[in-house]
Amino acid sequence: MSTNPLLSINNLTASVDEKTILHGIDLNVAPGETHVLMGPNGAGKSTMGHVIMGDPVYTVNEGSITFDGADITELTPDKRSRAGLFLSFQAPVEIPGVPLSSFLRAQIAGRPGLEMRGKEFRRRVKELAAELSMDTAYLNRELGVGFSGGEKKKVEMLQLLLLQPKLAVLDETDSGLDVDALGVVSRGMDAYRKATDGSLIIITHNTRILEHLEVDRVHVMVDGRIVREDDASLIPWIDANGFDSFEREAAAAAAGETR
Amino acid sequence: MKMPGMTIKHASAMPAPTWSWLKMNNVKIEIPDGLERNCQVEIDAGDALDNAASFEGSVASLQERMDAARAEAPADGRAMIDAATGADRGAEKLDVPALSAYEHRAVRSEIACDIASDFETGVGTDIRAYLNFLAGGTAVLAAEEDEDAEAAIRVTTRAGEASGASVDIVAAPRSTFSVTLSLDSSADAPSFMGSTMRVFADRGARVDITVYLTASDAVTCVEDSGFVLAEDARVTVRHVVLGGAFTATGLSADLRGDRSRIDVDTSYLASGAQQRDFNYVIRHRGRKTVSNMDANGVLTGISKKCLRGTIDLVHGAKGAEGNERETVLLASRGVDNKTIPNILCDEDDVAGNHGATIGHVRPEQLFYAACRGLSQEQTEALFLSAKLEDAALRAPDEAVRANVVRLGNQIIPHFEEEIA
Amino acid sequence: MAKNRTEVADIDRSLYDFSYGEEGFERLDAGLTPDIVTEISQRKNEPRWMLDLRLKSLEIYHRMPNPTWGPGIEGLDMDNIVTYVKPNTEQKNDWDSVPDDIKDTFERLGIPEAERSYLAGVGAQYDSELVYHNMQDTAAKMGIVYSGIEEALHEPKWEAIIREKFMTLIPPTDHKFAALHGAVWSGGSFVYVPKGVKLDFPLQSYFRLNAKGAGQFEHTLIVVEDDADLHFIEGCSAPKYNVANLHAGAVELFVGKRAHLRYSTIENWSKNMYNLNTKRARCEEEGEIEWISGSFGSHVGYLYPMSVLAGRKSRSNFTGITFAGTGQNLDTGCKVVLGAPDTTATVETKSISKGGGISTFRSSIVATPAAEGAAASVSCQSLMLDDISRSDTIPAMDIRAKNVDIGHEATIGRIGDDKIFYLMSRGISEEEARTMIVNGFANPVSKELPLEYAVEMNNLIKLEMEGAIG
Repeated sequence: MSTNPLLSINNLTASVDEKTILHGIDLNVAPGETHVLMGPNGAGKSTMGHVIMGDPVYTVNEGSITFDGADITELTPDKRSRAGLFLSFQAPVEIPGVPLSSFLRAQIAGRPGLEMRGKEFRRRVKELAAELSMDTAYLNRELGVGFSGGEKKKVEMLQLLLLQPKLAVLDETDSGLDVDALGVVSRGMDAYRKATDGSLIIITHNTRILEHLEVDRVHVMVDGRIVREDDASLIPWIDANGFDSFEREAAAAAAGETR
Repeated sequence: MKMPGMTIKHASAMPAPTWSWLKMNNVKIEIPDGLERNCQVEIDAGDALDNAASFEGSVASLQERMDAARAEAPADGRAMIDAATGADRGAEKLDVPALSAYEHRAVRSEIACDIASDFETGVGTDIRAYLNFLAGGTAVLAAEEDEDAEAAIRVTTRAGEASGASVDIVAAPRSTFSVTLSLDSSADAPSFMGSTMRVFADRGARVDITVYLTASDAVTCVEDSGFVLAEDARVTVRHVVLGGAFTATGLSADLRGDRSRIDVDTSYLASGAQQRDFNYVIRHRGRKTVSNMDANGVLTGISKKCLRGTIDLVHGAKGAEGNERETVLLASRGVDNKTIPNILCDEDDVAGNHGATIGHVRPEQLFYAACRGLSQEQTEALFLSAKLEDAALRAPDEAVRANVVRLGNQIIPHFEEEIA
Repeated sequence: MAKNRTEVADIDRSLYDFSYGEEGFERLDAGLTPDIVTEISQRKNEPRWMLDLRLKSLEIYHRMPNPTWGPGIEGLDMDNIVTYVKPNTEQKNDWDSVPDDIKDTFERLGIPEAERSYLAGVGAQYDSELVYHNMQDTAAKMGIVYSGIEEALHEPKWEAIIREKFMTLIPPTDHKFAALHGAVWSGGSFVYVPKGVKLDFPLQSYFRLNAKGAGQFEHTLIVVEDDADLHFIEGCSAPKYNVANLHAGAVELFVGKRAHLRYSTIENWSKNMYNLNTKRARCEEEGEIEWISGSFGSHVGYLYPMSVLAGRKSRSNFTGITFAGTGQNLDTGCKVVLGAPDTTATVETKSISKGGGISTFRSSIVATPAAEGAAASVSCQSLMLDDISRSDTIPAMDIRAKNVDIGHEATIGRIGDDKIFYLMSRGISEEEARTMIVNGFANPVSKELPLEYAVEMNNLIKLEMEGAIG
């Protein structure tokens, strides 16, 4: 592990409605690394992504998040985005009344090196759309309204490529990706890796998405705790054995705590 | 000659009033003091500019058809009719309901069945008289039977002046008439402009009206209209209200003929200390008539808005359906939004629906936008620019588009460049 | 489907429509003068401030115009409404001491039986005065006060509270009939629930207007202190006379911090009644008011319970049903003021029009600039049972706060033929099918009522639906 991580999460505890969901999480991601966060349903993986991005639904009770050398624990999500963080949503929201193109333009406004005017912007967006085989007609449609699952995914990847963040958290848990959407995500990740030397945290329990990817670290999460951390060799093992043994260990540990 | 200022009270009154303390029943229109009358109206209508057709004549022939049909109708013995013949008689006649002043008027109008005397415009008689005075005469635009016609009306005003247009639109049976009305001014001192319009859509005619209001911050603006629809007529109206210190938009429609239909789509924006007022009254009188009102707006700054929408399902309008929906985004602290979507119903075989959503950008939308680097203010501004962009994109012609762009540039930096 | 509807037969309301003589009763002369008002006050031996309030209210009453937006009230001749009718009995606390005819009235309305089976306390008002008031010992031991408001006015401890709150939520300047109420109010209940006290069984007041050509002007004042909980039920009825009767009561409810009050009413007046009633509640921080309101009967009705949400996170829920039949014009609804951050309100109403009756749903939702984070949802549905009736919906919203979420939905229509057909295809008669569907329509309200009242309401609907089909 790098001594100078890009993202460093220390002893992070977070809750929603006074119910603790994440318990003392530690996680470090170095520049250019690809990490995978896996675990059974309801383990807290998506929460983790949202807390990294600063979703106000969750309260951080303890611990800190440091990104690119600065403590971002108290930063609002827009500031985190401008600092170079990105979260792709499992279920992107709909914003009726706002065309996708306006939304994209507003995202890059005021970002050094990314800000583009009129024609230049439209050319760039068209390029990216082509790269993702996305119909440019979507650019004029209201954000998310009437989009299929695959189309929403494409829109997320388009934003990833447009913003070129230093670290992207891709929340793919439970999205029941069909082959089409799976292809979109893979292509998006490839393009992102090619264009930048950015880091990735991929939240998933579908190992197919990882097939063409060089994974540096794998973290397994159960009941809001990281119970195992290892290199890419853990992936085929999980493929074969599932999360049962991790869950049993976690249950035994929890029982031990209360004894 | 400079004209003294004037206050027109009880303008844009909704038919069935509610508690007066809410101050929503009507609006007061202040015409600035010391304006010079200078009518600046340009009408580009080609062959449609016609003085042979008349609104009154068309109404009279529709009245004849209505009277003939009514002669065969059986006598009406409803308690409501009895009730409208006098005041509440209390315990002397307990089977007769005590009517409100409005219900009295409604039943009496129904008994009389007089299209001409039922005719109304959305803002009302007083403002119509004033606009007729400013205009000095009424232009009659007509589309002949089975023909297509187009017209563009441009009204503007300069600082310290008052300008008004008065237009009658008469669409003969099965004609198609497409009308653009632009009310635009960049005056930088108090001024007034307005338009009043009567529209008759005859049997099977199709009338499309697009109104763009792009006045600067110093202008008081009134756009007043009244519609009569004969059998199978179909009218669509699009109101785009983007600027003006004070604007009153009023539309009243009499769906007299069976199966007639009107769709009204309103898009508005108010910023700074601007005030928007809307009054829509749609009277379903014919059978199987249909109406849809859809309003969508953004309020920022300390702007105020009141929208009155009334669907009136009059007795006899069997099979009628009226829908009304408003979505308002309150984008800053200090705005005042008033919404009152009424349904009046004197018939059972009808459907009336209305809905209103008044709110703010939702938390999950804010979070999503924030994840892509947008602050709350930037997200709210997005809705504002989206409204302007949409207006520019769907502008009926280049001149109107230019007006939207001019207004957009004042509100959003680089607006013109972005939509180029 | 039977398209031809017959005229609706007059409904059998004999359950409520009976009356007794007024022998031995005292009546004040009709008409409204300062002398009459002073006389009412003197008879009640009231404190000076109350007489002053009455006289001031009378002045306001004479000055204020009639409402111009609602149903006509020309049939109500104020000079002929006798404001004060005092029954020939003092207030009792056991039914055996109540005179036979009055007791018989309440027996027929089922009040003593209800008291025995599930109420914590009962008050019964006959014309202008309370004739019965009683509360179970358990409730009294919890420190709950439930008494006649005039009685409470003579206890220094309660007088102070009453003086502080009386007609502050409904000031006499509010509207003409609030002023009238202020001038001639008589009878009504005072309830005080101390801090933290939660009463498991409801208290009930029943108002019976028996006298012909009279007005009833009871005042109900309820104080539910912080963290306390109360369910209060109010029932109203009157026999039918061939002269106009007037009901202009006032209900003022004060809900403390984290307190909860449910106020259930079934107003079932006879069809010669002008019901111009005013009800208002004020909620402090996290306090909650629930209104359950059924409006049946009366010639003219003006009724809009109002919630003033003054404390952060306070809540209001309004559930109401109005049934307007032949000869009725019922203008009902509610008002909500979202006056503090994170306040929430829900409004769910149903109205039914039939036999030439008129029902109007009228509401206002006002969010003041202080109401940041407030939310309100309004849903109203109107059912037209024939084509000779009328139903209007007039819902106003004035929103001045940021970060609010206000939603409004309304629909109006009739019972779909397909539904009737479906039920009839299973062997149900058309009348039964319609009654069933209307009862289902009313279900959101009846399910909020205690069982006995839900049954009463369903019976009222059944009564109203009888003869609806030829």
